[in-house]
Amino acid sequence: MENPLAEATVERVAPPAVLVVFGASGDLTSRKLMPAVENLALRRLLPPGFSVVGVARTDFDDEQFFESMRQAVEKAGGGGEEARHVWESFAQGGFRYVAGDYGDPETFKRLKDVLDEIDATRGTAQNRLIYLATPPSTFPTVIQGLAQCGLNRPANDNAFVRIVIEKPYGRDTRSAEKLDAVVHEVFEEPQVYRIDHYLGKETVQNVLALRFANAIFEPIWNRRYVNHVQITVAEQLGVGHRGGFYESAGALRDIVQNHVLQVLALTLMEPPSTFDPNGIRDEKVKALRAVDILSPEEVAQNVVRAQYRAGWVQGTEVHSYRDEEGVDPHSQTETYVAMRLKVDNWRWAGVPFYVRTGKYLPKRVTEVAMEFNRVPHLPFAMSQAEGLDPDALVLRIQPDEGITLRFGAKVPGQAFRVRSVSMDFFYGAAFLEETPEAYERLLLDALLGDPTLFIRADEVAQAWRIVQPVLDGFEEGDLPLARYEAGTWGPPEADHLLDRDGRRWRKP
Amino acid sequence: MEEPVVTTLGSWEADDVTVAQVEAALSDLRHHEQRAAVRTSVLTLVAVVKTDAEADAARAIIDELGGRHPSRALVIVAVDDEPDAPNGTDAAVWVRAIEREGRAVCFEQLLLRVRGKARHHLDSIVEPFALPDVPMVVWLPAGLPSPGDPLMQAANRVVVDSRAVAEAGGDVLTRSLSLARRLPVADLSWMRLEQWRSMLAGLFEGALNRPFLQAVDRVEVCGNHGPRYLLGGWLLRRLELPASRVELRPAEHVSVDVHAVSGGRRGRFRVARDGAEREIRSCVDIEGGPQLEQTVRMRQQWPSLALASALTRVGHDEIYEEALAGARELRQAEGGR
Repeated sequence: MENPLAEATVERVAPPAVLVVFGASGDLTSRKLMPAVENLALRRLLPPGFSVVGVARTDFDDEQFFESMRQAVEKAGGGGEEARHVWESFAQGGFRYVAGDYGDPETFKRLKDVLDEIDATRGTAQNRLIYLATPPSTFPTVIQGLAQCGLNRPANDNAFVRIVIEKPYGRDTRSAEKLDAVVHEVFEEPQVYRIDHYLGKETVQNVLALRFANAIFEPIWNRRYVNHVQITVAEQLGVGHRGGFYESAGALRDIVQNHVLQVLALTLMEPPSTFDPNGIRDEKVKALRAVDILSPEEVAQNVVRAQYRAGWVQGTEVHSYRDEEGVDPHSQTETYVAMRLKVDNWRWAGVPFYVRTGKYLPKRVTEVAMEFNRVPHLPFAMSQAEGLDPDALVLRIQPDEGITLRFGAKVPGQAFRVRSVSMDFFYGAAFLEETPEAYERLLLDALLGDPTLFIRADEVAQAWRIVQPVLDGFEEGDLPLARYEAGTWGPPEADHLLDRDGRRWRKP
Repeated sequence: MEEPVVTTLGSWEADDVTVAQVEAALSDLRHHEQRAAVRTSVLTLVAVVKTDAEADAARAIIDELGGRHPSRALVIVAVDDEPDAPNGTDAAVWVRAIEREGRAVCFEQLLLRVRGKARHHLDSIVEPFALPDVPMVVWLPAGLPSPGDPLMQAANRVVVDSRAVAEAGGDVLTRSLSLARRLPVADLSWMRLEQWRSMLAGLFEGALNRPFLQAVDRVEVCGNHGPRYLLGGWLLRRLELPASRVELRPAEHVSVDVHAVSGGRRGRFRVARDGAEREIRSCVDIEGGPQLEQTVRMRQQWPSLALASALTRVGHDEIYEEALAGARELRQAEGGR
């Protein structure tokens, strides 16, 4: 039965539910999840009775947990007078805490008792959104603990139990399959919401709007017109205090397997026939399936891995990766990856996709740049078109969200000279709305039961299929680790990757 | 996010001018200022007012709006106090830039004081200034257009505020309905009610509360004239209730109570502003179940925000039109009682 009053209201309020956060004393909870909860409440998108239950090993009681979350949100820029009501309302039993070890069945029994109590007192109707904000190694333990207490299945046909699982989803194909087996033993796939917060970004979704709402882009979005595509996900920061985690991840697992491949899938995919969850996700899976798997020899030729040395980033001197806290002084972990990918399908055959990501690059930027073929015949003398680069369409995802179109124009004057000009469109200059944070959007979607922007099991499998041969190449030592100076756009080896094809990286 | 900084790049004003002179001045201002070359306009906004004081108020709102929503804005003062004055237009033009996070976007504002019979042919003045290929939105801060107003022929959308008009008297909702059937209308009064509608709708999310919507006994809506009729009309039509089950009562602040029975249990669902505090309290009270309450701060309501929200929408707002039709039905039922 639909809600006739909700029709045509701009934003939909979540149903009564409890958000159960495992890893409640962790960084993700305090920096991202709780600010998202506060913002949703401020936007009046949480119902009366909405509750949060934190689960972690830290020895908090309900009040300490509530207070620590309130302070964490304040530290993250929230709180204050504007949010006073929100926290007053949560203070009436809206924040509960279960301290315990994830391996101890007692933890889950206590959790069940708390949830039953909340259902009785706060009308949450046995609806649960379980969020795993814990290290990936604990996922199987938590999932099995939930199942042992029957917390994995809805109590009745009207209730829901959904589980949100943070990245990384596995460390490689095998571990991802193993994790999937554990998950599917306990949860049905429609209950599982694998999160990649990149998909919650408004501007990532805008790639879909740009491609599928405009007739002018789609006809040229193929091998006939596109010469090559460059996808850049550049980070300006180093590993910071995440050195320990990063040592076991590296750029390939941390960024390429998820963020880069998600952006790639949105760029490659065919128009979905419907904008429903499976319509889009089916097309993304098809797109990823078409990405050619690199052989060991091809990995050596088409992949560059590198690690940052000391350097200067935006006027600040920074350490070498090997001198970061928690990092092995002889570490072979990559902080930069560049790859040349091939896509075997009708639309993209023969068009190289160059992707790169790295830490301590000169600026934070995510973009998809599509460079077009040159005109078949230039009716000017070469000297007249010296300043003419190939046409390009750049989708800037962050930070200056928008579109740039580069094309040739006549330089004013009597002489006939042509040079490239850029036409910029800034997303923020045309729209009033302040865009919700990615976690806010995704939390609400999960509460509302809309999995469109979450990753399905087969998508994860396809992403690992692409990345696995590269990981193997890294682990078998087939690919030397290059070094680049922090604050530069990567090692010379990455430039050579494009030089060979007569191309060069863009400077975003 | 940094607060935007608005700077005036150039301005021009003159009395008794032609449209061509104003166009030339505007073009001149833009060409002499490099920053003015970058423009991301999404619409032409035309505000029509009757007095200089109203024009000042409209311009202040547009300035606030410009920081977030660049448009070419025309504020037209259709001077009413000298009906027999000869035709004439005084004009002032500003080219401004909004800078935020190192980026500047340019927008233009025109103030035109129109005298004489030209007041009845504002379309002929507005059209030359309309930006190509973007919608033209006509904003009437304190009135409704008269039937046959040629400016409405040029507009893609009209923004009104039924509350501001209601204060001046007359059967505004019926006139609004008639206008909405001709042209997409954004009513700022309706937009201000969105938080009430959304919160009330939210009380019926979830499988436990939803069935109560199918068994509504009685609805009580309190508030000022416009809001209570609009909310009452909305509930009447969305819930397919007979008019006899919707009670409207005058009050200073809005409150909505829905009484329903489902599965043999009585339920009361309420959203209300109880006092001077800018807070809305929502409450669910189901027999035998927990009583739930939530208090939230009311959304900021400054006029530029409601206007900005109105400008982001396109096309007819069918739910609004339905609410207007419901409001009329409630008025008629009152008349028959």
